[in-house]
Amino acid sequence: MKLKVPKTERRKSKDSKAKRILRIVLVGFVVVLVVGLVGLHLVSTIFGNESLGFGDQLVTRVVTPAQEGFSTVVDWVVDRLYQLKLYSRLELEYNNLRQENEQLVYRAMLADELQYKLSVYENLYDEISVNESMNPLVATVIGREAGNYFSVFTINKGSNDGVKEFMAVTMDGALVGYTYDVTATKSLVRTIIDSEASIAGLISSTRDQGTVRGTLGIDGRAMCRMYYLPEDHLPRPGDVVVTSGVGMSFPKGIPIGKVKESTRGMESNKQYIVVEPQADFQHVEYVIVLRYQPTAGDVESQGLDDLDLALVPLETAAPVPTIQIGSDFYQLAPTPEPTETPVPSETPAPGETPDPEATPAPTPAPSDNGEGGVEYQVPGGITDNSYGFTLAPTATPTPTPPPLDMTVEEE
Amino acid sequence: MLGRVLKMAVLTLLAYLLQATTAQYISVWDVAPNIALALIAVVTVGLGAKYSLLMSLAVGYLMEIMLAGVQFFNLVLYPVSAMLGALVFADKSERKLEELRAQGKDTRQLHPHLRTPLCAMVSILVFEFVHVIYIYLAGVDLDSGHIGRALVDVVYTMLLAGLFQFPVRAWLGIYRQNRLNREKDR
Repeated sequence: MKLKVPKTERRKSKDSKAKRILRIVLVGFVVVLVVGLVGLHLVSTIFGNESLGFGDQLVTRVVTPAQEGFSTVVDWVVDRLYQLKLYSRLELEYNNLRQENEQLVYRAMLADELQYKLSVYENLYDEISVNESMNPLVATVIGREAGNYFSVFTINKGSNDGVKEFMAVTMDGALVGYTYDVTATKSLVRTIIDSEASIAGLISSTRDQGTVRGTLGIDGRAMCRMYYLPEDHLPRPGDVVVTSGVGMSFPKGIPIGKVKESTRGMESNKQYIVVEPQADFQHVEYVIVLRYQPTAGDVESQGLDDLDLALVPLETAAPVPTIQIGSDFYQLAPTPEPTETPVPSETPAPGETPDPEATPAPTPAPSDNGEGGVEYQVPGGITDNSYGFTLAPTATPTPTPPPLDMTVEEE
Repeated sequence: MLGRVLKMAVLTLLAYLLQATTAQYISVWDVAPNIALALIAVVTVGLGAKYSLLMSLAVGYLMEIMLAGVQFFNLVLYPVSAMLGALVFADKSERKLEELRAQGKDTRQLHPHLRTPLCAMVSILVFEFVHVIYIYLAGVDLDSGHIGRALVDVVYTMLLAGLFQFPVRAWLGIYRQNRLNREKDR
């Protein structure tokens, strides 16, 4: 007897059989495909038969777009991940850069400050170098009283450093003021714009002397006025005013300022000229105290310089010609009418001509920095044409007339 | 069945694409891992040596025609490396197990999740060893740098294989198949 298989079981068995066949076909196809492609590749490569490389070309044609798309996706993902990483580090980077920026700004400020100090020191060094004979001393301004009427400041040098009262204080080749109220460790400096300041000065071009005073207490301006000038000269704007060396122990020739305007020609009690100070009183940080003490010789020679002396030549061995006083130098007195014609033999022989050595040598013109006194030298680094002033030349000594041209007076 | 074949085709293509495009971006100490061998190791342990051979051959072929550095190198090396790994760590069939039992041999196997990175280790060791030998024969003096890079590659590929095995096995339906087999045994 044959058992009857249920319909569902028969269908199941038929399905599994079909699946098995399908599986075998599918797996076989895949294996054949892969092995075939590999084989074709090997054969085409080994034997160099390019016509058999169609399999490779087919696979390449299929895979290349897929790889291209996949590569694009991967690159996009990598870019996004990189950006995320970047953003996550952005705040950290920002803080680091900000901190670095602050440090760089601080360093730049420090470098600027050091550069400024260096330039200041260079100027100070130049000024000290050229005025070494005046025993200069660099001082730092440690306090300032800048009111509307007085302008004084304190420096960190005092009597311990050799500073005394009424010593000239300069800055950048110009007079700032003078010391007063000197203690052991500090000194006060009264600036030339202070109302109480009074300094003897002269106009370098005309050599007119006067007194320079500050105007801060008069009209509130940081200027100076120069009084007591001779009335026969009119200073021009731009003329340099320097210290005259008269009065205090100031060296001669320190630039004070330039003539700015003149009130000459007004009422007599208002006759003065306005001098614009050369020093920058708003930026006084370092100054130089000139510890110059004039010696007796300097004072004496300084006084002689101021005298208007006429140089008289010494007597020569030759007969002295008669020179009419008040006449021109080379115009000799009229020769008296001779009663007798002198004998030619009595004429002095050339050999009897007085020795030229006996003729007095002309007195040498005093130099700017001669033995007559110490004069302030404006440092070369500070370029201002007005600094290069020169003293007025001393009058040339009167030459002695040659002896041969003389008329001998007969007794 | 058709689904598994399709999945295998996609996985093969994915292994090649990941190796060709992505591996360079995830390099560690300038050593790129071998993602393709890591995936082949997962298939080797999960589906057996036949699938592994087919996949490694396809990947090797794709590497050969698309990124051929040395002729026949990838075409030969990928299947050989995969087969050596499969020889030791692939799942053994019931027939094979019966034969071993009949011979009185030990038929116990390590856990598949442990065998997968070990299989990848064997494959990548062979792969790296052949490469090192090749460059040595090409006249390059080997130093500790070469060995160190090879070891980094081995470890990195093992880690990737251990990481990839969970999603790949789930996607291929290996966990479900094992569960059905266990229920059938009961």
